Amino acid sequence: MNNQNLDLKSAWITIKEAFPILESPSKIPDNDFDSAPFEAISIIKRLNLTQQIQDLVIIKIEERLRKEIVPDFWSHFKKTENEAAVFHEFYSVVKFLFHNYVQLDLIINKLILLREASNFTKPVYNQTCLHEALKLIVRAVLLSQLPIDHEWMIVNFYETALKMQDPEEENSTSGECVVCMQEEFSCSCREMFEETNKKLGKMTLLEPLVGQALTDLIYSYIQTHIQKICKDNFDNSHIESLEKWLQTVVISWLKKIYFHNSAVKAMDEFDKKLINYLYNTYTKIRIDQLFNIIIEYPDSLPALDDLRLCLPKTDLKPHLTRSLQKAIETRLLHPGVSTFDVLTAYVATIRSLRILDPCGLLLETITQPVHQYLRSREDTIRCVVGSLTEEGPNDLAEELVRGEAVQVDENISVDEGVEDWETWTPDPVDVVPSKSSGLPRTSDIISMLVNVYGSKELFVNEYRTLLADRLLSQYSCDTEKEIRYLELLKLRFGDSQLHFCEVMLKDIADSKRINQHIQQDLSYSDDDIPMSAMILSAQFWPAFKDEKLELHEKLVKQMESYTGAFETLKGSRTLCWKNHLGIVDLEIELADRTLNLSVSPVHATILMHFQDQNTWSLEALSKVMHVPSTILRRKLSFWQSHGIITEPEPDVFYLQEEQENNENNIQDDIVVEDFESESAMASAQDQREEELQTFWSYILGMLMNLDTLPLERIHQMLKMFAFQGPTIECNLQELKVFLDRKVREHQLIYSNGLYRLPK
Amino acid sequence: MKLTIKNWTGVATWRWVANDDNCGICRMPFDGCCPDCKLPGDDCPLVWGQCSHCFHMHCIVKWLQSQPVNQQCPMCRQPWKFNNK
Ligand SMILES: [Zn+2]
Ligand SMILES: [Zn+2]
Ligand SMILES: [Zn+2]
Repeated sequence: MNNQNLDLKSAWITIKEAFPILESPSKIPDNDFDSAPFEAISIIKRLNLTQQIQDLVIIKIEERLRKEIVPDFWSHFKKTENEAAVFHEFYSVVKFLFHNYVQLDLIINKLILLREASNFTKPVYNQTCLHEALKLIVRAVLLSQLPIDHEWMIVNFYETALKMQDPEEENSTSGECVVCMQEEFSCSCREMFEETNKKLGKMTLLEPLVGQALTDLIYSYIQTHIQKICKDNFDNSHIESLEKWLQTVVISWLKKIYFHNSAVKAMDEFDKKLINYLYNTYTKIRIDQLFNIIIEYPDSLPALDDLRLCLPKTDLKPHLTRSLQKAIETRLLHPGVSTFDVLTAYVATIRSLRILDPCGLLLETITQPVHQYLRSREDTIRCVVGSLTEEGPNDLAEELVRGEAVQVDENISVDEGVEDWETWTPDPVDVVPSKSSGLPRTSDIISMLVNVYGSKELFVNEYRTLLADRLLSQYSCDTEKEIRYLELLKLRFGDSQLHFCEVMLKDIADSKRINQHIQQDLSYSDDDIPMSAMILSAQFWPAFKDEKLELHEKLVKQMESYTGAFETLKGSRTLCWKNHLGIVDLEIELADRTLNLSVSPVHATILMHFQDQNTWSLEALSKVMHVPSTILRRKLSFWQSHGIITEPEPDVFYLQEEQENNENNIQDDIVVEDFESESAMASAQDQREEELQTFWSYILGMLMNLDTLPLERIHQMLKMFAFQGPTIECNLQELKVFLDRKVREHQLIYSNGLYRLPK
Repeated sequence: MKLTIKNWTGVATWRWVANDDNCGICRMPFDGCCPDCKLPGDDCPLVWGQCSHCFHMHCIVKWLQSQPVNQQCPMCRQPWKFNNK
């Protein structure tokens, strides 16, 4: 018994010598493998204690890991300021872990010998191979003690390493290592990185410890890189270079790391994910910039092309639609933007979207709010027509030269697109079809603008007014150029719509000829007042604003003689002068200065009267000129601003030969009327407004009798009663605009879709 | 002050000196043109009959061609004679 006791004691000592860890978990195991523990193994085998000893050793290994190695390992993951230090810190902490792991693995080797000797095959933690079991234990203990903010150090380590090899990283050009700041040839950081990965790989810790951090890092690295590349730069295509960058920098680097991953994962899968992420990120950034990209069209064409190629690879089209709509709403459609700028942006949008989405549905969705907005702006047509005919490079004028006939939505050709059925593609499902879907979607800009108003007529009328103003305000204007434009417009709007304008231009050309003839007429003389005339065919010009003006008698005589000469030249025809229209070139010699001015007939007449008589009361002058005194006062202010006329006492005006010394403050406060900007024509909208006003009494009558009515009903009733005779019809939309204005003016109340009169 | 008018460009509309505003045949204004014409004035002149009625020249000529016998003024039914003033 005692003997056996003694025997057991010495046996235990032998076993402990073979497995010193049994003595104390911190006991450093014997590295010397030469003294293989054959004696201990045979004892254990004899005593049939294989399982017990193995379990005991593993418990001790776990204890050592749990109490010493892992806490020590994690204790290094504290935040520090010194970034360069972090790199080396992680390196040495992994080195430390690996060193301990190798030592523990030596114990495992002995256990394996034991198991082989005892023919013991029971798996440990489901692992038949004990090396794998050790890895599992290390992994489990490490993760069980995972500190909250362990990732930063890993991220930092890998980020530094990534920068080390990214050729586009600024620091890399200097030839210095990003980490240790030493010349690259003497730096060993790359080797340290390599070694760290290798060790982590051997412990199968790459994926569990580093995987998530690495993924996050790569994603944010890609994001930052793309952001840097795309910043305020739309004139380069980036798809190719980005893909190349991803392959050569990111993916090849990842492959180098995962090369050490013993548990080989499908890197290809990750490849695809990364490429997908690259496209998504790039597309998102471009979508965020889309409004600016559009504004910079056509310089931004490369960015647009990129976006077009990227969109099918992502599912970001709905995002694009929403984002662009929002950008347009907040940046374009508000009162701070001039109509001209809205139009310019609108044209750029159309052109850009033509590239992005040739099928046109996107265009329709995006531009609809712009259309609605443009419709609400008063000066839109004028602005469009102005740009169309303006000189110099201009988007709309360019579109005009493209020379397609305007397609108004009403005239749908049913078999549109039948010839090219082979290239037909269905509308994408992600765009909400609008009411008008099914109609041919035109992307011709001028057609689209015309469609904003639904009628060519309004458009053409505005052009006519503009042309009339231009012709009348500059007699010498380049009629040939105007004719050229007219020809272009005719291609768009058709001959009949623009025939009036043709006659107007012909009138001006004829006038020049008639003037020459009359100058040669021997019985006619205009030595006193050189005279020429613009002789218009009244039926073809827009209605003139009616203004009364009695000209100075000298001029009346001159005009009479001109009329006489005209009557002789053109039998049976005579002239009706529009006294307030025309241009007068004056030379005004005063005591101290001479002025040369082109003014309107009213202004000239005022001065002619002051030439006869130095002083005029407002009332007297108003009577002589047949101009209401309020208007006359405004006209006088023009001369006051030139310091030629003063008003020293209320309503009495004096001619002022010499300017007072304090030249600078010549009646600054006088509102000067800008004579150039005034239009001689009643605008098309004014005229339409007047026409609609005639319905107002009908509407009042209806509402008085029937209390409340919806829009459609009002329209129907107007159709029955008011639209008879020569009045032009009024469509539902127009009527709504008209009624809405009445609501704003508090002449109507609108609620629940019904109109009624205020009490 | 010495005021010199270097040039006065006035604006006037022309009209036919006739008793009526509209052509009795086509009902269009004289100052416009007949339905067949595009340009008013010289290109679509008026003519007077001895009965003092006047029409677009193109209108009365067309009318007379449609009346091989008894060429009458469409307004007063008197025999039509051009008044060459
Ligand atoms: Zn006629
Ligand atoms: Zn004619
Ligand atoms: Zn007659």
